[in-house]
Amino acid sequence: MKYTSQAVAKPYFIAAIALFLGQILFGLIMGLQYVVGDFLFPAIPFNVARMVHTNLLIVWLLFGFMGASYYLIPEESETELYSPKLAILTFWIFLVAGAVTVLGYLLVPYASLAKWTGNDLLNTMGREFLEQPLPTKVGIVLVALSWLFNIVMTVLKGRKTAISLVLSLGMLGLAVFFLFSFYNPVNLVKDKFYWWWVVHLWVEGVWELILGAMLAFVLIKVTGVDREVIEKWLYVIITMTLVTGIIGTGHHYYWIGTPAYWQWWGSIFSALEPIPFFMMTVFAFNMVNKRRREHPNKAAVLWALGTSVMAFLGAGLWGFLHTLAPVNYYAHGTQLTAAHGHLAFYGAYALVVLTMISYAMPILRGRAANPERAQIMEMWSFWLMTIAMFFIALFLTGAGIVQIWLQRISVTPMSFMAVQDQISIFYWAREGAGLVFLLGLLLYIGSFFVKGKSHAFE
Amino acid sequence: MNHSSATLSQEDLPGDFAIWIFIFAEMLAFGVLFVSYAFTRAQNIELFNASQLTLNRTSGAINTLVLITSSYFVVRGVEAIKRGLNQQCSHWLTGAFLLGGVFVGIKMVEFQDKFAADITMSTNNFYMFYLSLTFFHFMHVLMGMVILAVIIMKARHGGYSAHDYVGVETGASFWHMVDFLWIILFPLVYIIR
Amino acid sequence: MSAKFTKSMARNVFYGGGVFFFLLFLALTFDTMKVLPKRDNSQNITPAVEHGKKLWETNNCIGCHTLLGEGAYFAPELGNVYPRRGPDFIKAWIKGQPTGVPGRRQMPQFNLSDADIDDLIAFLKYASEINTNKWPPNIEG
Repeated sequence: MKYTSQAVAKPYFIAAIALFLGQILFGLIMGLQYVVGDFLFPAIPFNVARMVHTNLLIVWLLFGFMGASYYLIPEESETELYSPKLAILTFWIFLVAGAVTVLGYLLVPYASLAKWTGNDLLNTMGREFLEQPLPTKVGIVLVALSWLFNIVMTVLKGRKTAISLVLSLGMLGLAVFFLFSFYNPVNLVKDKFYWWWVVHLWVEGVWELILGAMLAFVLIKVTGVDREVIEKWLYVIITMTLVTGIIGTGHHYYWIGTPAYWQWWGSIFSALEPIPFFMMTVFAFNMVNKRRREHPNKAAVLWALGTSVMAFLGAGLWGFLHTLAPVNYYAHGTQLTAAHGHLAFYGAYALVVLTMISYAMPILRGRAANPERAQIMEMWSFWLMTIAMFFIALFLTGAGIVQIWLQRISVTPMSFMAVQDQISIFYWAREGAGLVFLLGLLLYIGSFFVKGKSHAFE
Repeated sequence: MNHSSATLSQEDLPGDFAIWIFIFAEMLAFGVLFVSYAFTRAQNIELFNASQLTLNRTSGAINTLVLITSSYFVVRGVEAIKRGLNQQCSHWLTGAFLLGGVFVGIKMVEFQDKFAADITMSTNNFYMFYLSLTFFHFMHVLMGMVILAVIIMKARHGGYSAHDYVGVETGASFWHMVDFLWIILFPLVYIIR
Repeated sequence: MSAKFTKSMARNVFYGGGVFFFLLFLALTFDTMKVLPKRDNSQNITPAVEHGKKLWETNNCIGCHTLLGEGAYFAPELGNVYPRRGPDFIKAWIKGQPTGVPGRRQMPQFNLSDADIDDLIAFLKYASEINTNKWPPNIEG
């Protein structure tokens, strides 16, 4: 660790992993509810479990992004963090707010939660992924601003690199577009239209800047390739991301009441969205092939390469699969969407955070890399989780295709629930893959506790 | 994508390689739009032919000449800077910039006519493509003008030289793309029936 | 001449491209907002619809169902439930939950008053009359 203030990243990473575990447990509950409908009913109805599952995902990724930026920005800027105290304070506020919110979901009927938290003052709750009560939403804004402030102040007083610039821009975008979560008009079409300004412009826009910056940072560190080369490719890749991704928002505007021309704009530009992901894959492998050093942390290299491949598969390929309007007409809102969502979030965002943790955590614990045995365990966890997630996506894709056929294409369409009964075998298989994923995650957590002779700094 | 192949193409292409990646993306987007137009037209030939008659071919033709001339000016500008003549370069580029302004002006009159007739992207498939393509291209002209303006300002202050003119070539490459796209767009949407 | 691929130009293209496409997106948004009143059925938004939407949200219906294809995929699409089932069925259904059939997916009892349910149905009726470019493909959603 070059700068002592980088240490604030550690609690962020630990919290991220803990919440990740929580997310997976709730995922397994929901997976079972898909086939054993009354499992845990009425204690934890599906909608509550899902809220916890998706909200924990968002929160742990944000913890990961924050930890990663508190780690990498001092190193990029070659100066101590502007205010480590603020970073720690923000950590606790975010953690407590997150925990209270999740407890609120689990212990209080959602309607009562809405009433008690001032939803009558400003209706913002009850929309997918934006279920947080008003105080939590305000808290998220404050936390994001505190994070942005701390990072920008650090960048301003130190060296300015492309990585820190791109990361800061990504964070700025994250904060700005989240503000649309406060806009909830009665007009359902407008509600949905601007809801995507948070959701799509986050995950297929500004978050990709954060992803690119984090990946570029790790690649510079583990390959030793010239910063100039990596940074200019970073710019090129995120340019393609914005060129395709911004108008690509149109692929959500086919069937929600918005004009038909979005079918053209959305199809054409989102069909190009795999390009930046493909570039990222080729870029990551090229940089690793051209490495000028053998970094002792082999696990981190694996995570980094894994991110580039799985992001391409999940976000690029699985996205393309159903993004063209004529296909989406049948695929919209089926298990195919769920397949894409799972693989894309895991491949792009879960993996990039784990890459960053894998690289930084040993250094935060005072060594260049973990002991050989711990790394081997970590790499096993990579393969278990990645293959399990790939199979989850495959099973859900199978479920989606059969669902589309029986419910939407067949001349004698079956009702939703009748179709669900027909495809329960896919759901059982998905739940099995989910258990393997949990095993991988437990192995991953276990790898932090493996003792042995670790690699000292060079 | 790898660096050595990039180096190879860098020798063949005028201007910075970064703009060529952008140009490639733009050409791809326009290319798909053009192909989509052709396919949709094949399915609605009568509608497309009838709607096409309402377009103002004269202003389209004038705009074609305007853009081709502006591209020629840009070529002269690049030649000038290769000889280290910053002032001459900025004059030629200013000419191109002004012609860009003429294009924008004529185009705005054309758009105004359509809006006055209550024609929007939602009117029918032909107008959807016509307005999408021309407006998308129109924005590229504006962006090209911004790029030219930046280069003109820099050239005025003697910012380039006979050895260092990559910036001018980069902007020129973008402008030629804008011109090139219009040369495909104009016959495709305004004339071919 | 590798100086012909420079970081500063890559950065300029990133800024230019990002701003350009965001402006294009704003222009399309502007047009969309102008066209929407012809498609979004907003002329039928009554106080009942408004209250119904709020009930839809504060009971987290989207946590299981989809509405115009968006939401969870655990329970049926409700964007067209009004023409599919009709108001009486919907009312009886909401009141009759949970079914308690062993092993079946369960919908909670939300303890809504008759007036509340009527408003919720008004909201679902309004949603079903939005011009969605003929989606879903058939009545099953």
